[in-house]
Amino acid sequence: MSERVLLHVGTPKTGTSQLQEVLFRNREALAEHGISYPAERFDAHFLAALDLMALPWGGLETEAIGCWDALAQQVREHRGTAIISHEILATASRSQVGRALESLGHGSGAEVHVVVSARDLVRQIPAEWQENVKHRSTISFERFLAQLRDPAREARIASWFWGVQELPDVLDRWAHELPPEHVHVVTVPPPGGDAGELWRRFEHTFGLTGLELDLDVAKANPSLGVPETALLRRLNQQVNPVLAPPDYRPLVRELLAHQTLSARSRSPRLALPPDVHPWAVELSASWIAELRRRGYDVVGDLDDLLGPPAPEHWADPDAPRESQVSGAALDALCAVLLDNARLRGEETRLAAELHEARERIAHHERRPLRESILTFVRRSAAGRGLHRVYRVLRGRSTRSA
Amino acid sequence: MTDHGVHGSADHAGGEARAWAWVAHLRDGGTTPWAQWAGTGERTGRVLPGAQQLELLRRLNLIGSPDAALAERVLRASAPGRGRPDLELVGATPSASPAAAFGPAPVDPADLPADELVRVSALLVARAVVAADPADRPDDLAHIAADARARWQARTVRWRPWRTRYRLAGDPWLAEHWRHDLRRRGRPPGGGEGAETFVLASDLPTMLADLWTDRAFSTRAPVPGWSAFLAGLAEHDRLPRGIDTPRAVRHWLEKVGGHRVRLVVDHDALPGLVGVRRLPPPERPGADAVELARRVSSSLGLLVTPDRGRRLLRQVLLPTLVAAPGPALAIPPEQHRWVARRSRRLVRDLPQELRRSHYAVVGDPASLGVRARDLARAEPGLPDVERVLGLACRVLLAGPTTRRGGDSA
Repeated sequence: MSERVLLHVGTPKTGTSQLQEVLFRNREALAEHGISYPAERFDAHFLAALDLMALPWGGLETEAIGCWDALAQQVREHRGTAIISHEILATASRSQVGRALESLGHGSGAEVHVVVSARDLVRQIPAEWQENVKHRSTISFERFLAQLRDPAREARIASWFWGVQELPDVLDRWAHELPPEHVHVVTVPPPGGDAGELWRRFEHTFGLTGLELDLDVAKANPSLGVPETALLRRLNQQVNPVLAPPDYRPLVRELLAHQTLSARSRSPRLALPPDVHPWAVELSASWIAELRRRGYDVVGDLDDLLGPPAPEHWADPDAPRESQVSGAALDALCAVLLDNARLRGEETRLAAELHEARERIAHHERRPLRESILTFVRRSAAGRGLHRVYRVLRGRSTRSA
Repeated sequence: MTDHGVHGSADHAGGEARAWAWVAHLRDGGTTPWAQWAGTGERTGRVLPGAQQLELLRRLNLIGSPDAALAERVLRASAPGRGRPDLELVGATPSASPAAAFGPAPVDPADLPADELVRVSALLVARAVVAADPADRPDDLAHIAADARARWQARTVRWRPWRTRYRLAGDPWLAEHWRHDLRRRGRPPGGGEGAETFVLASDLPTMLADLWTDRAFSTRAPVPGWSAFLAGLAEHDRLPRGIDTPRAVRHWLEKVGGHRVRLVVDHDALPGLVGVRRLPPPERPGADAVELARRVSSSLGLLVTPDRGRRLLRQVLLPTLVAAPGPALAIPPEQHRWVARRSRRLVRDLPQELRRSHYAVVGDPASLGVRARDLARAEPGLPDVERVLGLACRVLLAGPTTRRGGDSA
C-alpha cells in the first residue's frame, strides 16, 4: 500500500501537460527517491481517467478499458509516494470520486492528498474556447460566452467547462472527505512573471524539490492569437464535413495550429470582452473567498486567481481584422505546401524502395527450375538423403571435397 | 420505510436528513416524489446519490420491484460521457450554505427530462448485458454444446466440396441476420472464387431502417439518432454502399464478375439459392428498441472491445428487445420527399444497370419503388424518449435474455 498518494485532478490549461511530461520522463529518477509515477505510456493516466469516468474520447476509450483499476493496483502495490495526474479528473462525479479514493487506499491506510492547479478565469475562458476550436468546434466566441454565462448550464460546453473549472465545486466533489491540509491548491502565477515560478510551485507540492530531474520538455498546447483562432474556426466550417478525425488531428491541429499558427506571436491575443471581464473577476473573487474559508493549503497566492486587468484594446475574434486573418492563412498555406513537398519526396523515396523490392521478387521468381526442385527435395529428411546420394554418385559431395 | 412521511407539500421540510430518508424510502421500493416527501432519516452512505439516480430508482419502483442489488447499482451509477453531471436534490442543502452557491443548480428529480434518465439507464443496461455474456459462463452446458457444434461445423465445412458457396451483401441487417443463421447451421458464407454473391435489396425505407438498426447494434462509432441520421444522409444525398443497391451491385460486379452476382429482391427465394429449405424471418426491433440499443451501444463501447460489444448487442440485447412493444421505424415526414426521390432513382437506375451488366435479378426490381404518398400513409414510427426509458426500466428489472447458439452475429 502506498503511504502517500498525490492525486492531481485538474484543472486544464494550468501547465498540467508539462508537469506530466516531466514526471513521465523522469520515472526512473523519481523511483530512486521512492516516488512512483506509474505509467508505461505518456497518456496512461489520461486513459485511466477516461475509464474511471466512462468518457468516450474519439475512439481512445477502447484502449482505456480497465486502465483505472490497473493504475490503482500499481499505486497500492508501491511502498512510498505515488503520483497520479490528469486534469480531466476534475469533472468526476461524487460516486466516481468515491470509487477512485477507495481504490487508491483511502480509508485503508493510504494518506491521499488532492492537488488542484488553478488559473484565473480571465485567461481560462478564452483558452477553453480556443481549445474547443482546435477540436473542430465552429462555435463563435460570443455564443461560447453566452453558454458559459447561462445559469442553467445545460449546454454540453457549459457543463464540461464548469465541471472542470469551478474550483469550489471540483474540490467539494474530490476533497470533502479529506482534511483541508491534505488539499493543495497550486495557483498559476499572473502573466509576465518569472517563467519558472509555476514549476517551483509544482516541485514544492509534489515533493520534488532538490531532485535531479530532466526538465527539458517541449511546450505543450501553445496558444493562438485572435486572427489565427478565427482562421481555424472558419477552416473547421469548411473541412468538418469532409475531413475524417484521424486526419484532422495531424493536419489541422498539429501541423496548422501547433506547428504553424502558434508561432505567430505578434498578433493580438485572445481576451475576454470588456463587458464580460468584470463578471469573470467577480466570480473569481467569490471562489477565492470560499477557498480561503475552507482553509486548504495554498501554494502560491489565491489572489493570482483574480486575473489580469482587461486589455486596453480588445480584439474581437468573431470580427477579426481580415488583413491579419489573410496573413495567418498565407502562413498556413505555406506550411501545407511545404509539408506536401516533404510528402512528395517521401513518396518518391518509397516508390524507389518498392521498385527495388519488386525487382528482387521478380529475380527470385526467375530462379531456375533446378533450384526450385532442389529446394523442394531438401525440405524432407528423405529428400536430403537422396540428394546426398546423388551428389556422392556425381562426385561432388562436400563431405568428400 | 413507508409513505408515512407524505404530506402533500415540501415547502417547510428541507435538508440532508430529509434527503437521506427519501433515499431509504426508495431503497425500500417507495414511489413518493421528492417534492411530496417530508420524513427525515440518518445518513446511510458516503454521499447523497444524484437526482438522476434517485428518480430512476423511483421510476423502477413504479413499474416493478427492483432487488436490493439493482437498487444499489442504480444509486451508484453516474451518467457516462459528457453532459449534465450528477445533480443535487433541490432542498437537500440549505440555500444559505456557502457550498450551495457552487456547482450546477439543484433540481427536483421529477422535473428531469427523460433523456437524462435514459443516459443513466443505458449504462446500467450495458453493464447488465456484459454481466450476461454467455461466454463468461463456462458452466453453461447449452452454451458449451452450441459452441462446440459451431466449431465442429466450421472445421468440417471443407470436407463438403458439394456445399453451396455463397456470399451475402446489400442490406446489412438482413445479410448479417441470415449469415449468422446459416453459419450456425454449418453453412458459413465464403467458398473462394466459386462463391456466388447475392445482393439483398428491399425498398429504401426498409433498408434505411435496417442500416440504422445495424449501426445501433454495433459499438464502433457513435451513431446519431434516427431523425439526425436521415437528415445527415439527405443533406449529402448519398447512401452508404450497402443500401445503395446499384452501387453495391456495381461493386460486386467489378470484384467477382457478372456471372457470379445476383440481385435478390424476392427474399423468399433466398433459401433455395443458399441451399437450405427455409430461413428465419428478419428480426426487426421496434423504433424504441433500436433507440435504446443505440444508447446502450455507446455505453457498451466504454466497457468492452468493439468486437465483443457487437457480439453482446446481437447475442444478448437483441433477443431481449426484439419482442418489445412499440411502433416499427418509419421515415419522418421531413424526409418523405428525399426518400421518394431516391426510390425513384433506384427503380430508374436498376434496369439500366441490368441491361449494361447482364447480371441476374431474383424478383421484380419495380417492387422497390416507394412514393411520397405511400410514406405519408404509413404509421408514424419514431422513437419516443419516455417509451425508451420505460423499455430500459423493464430490461433492468427483468434482466437480459441471452441467445445461445455458438458463433455470434
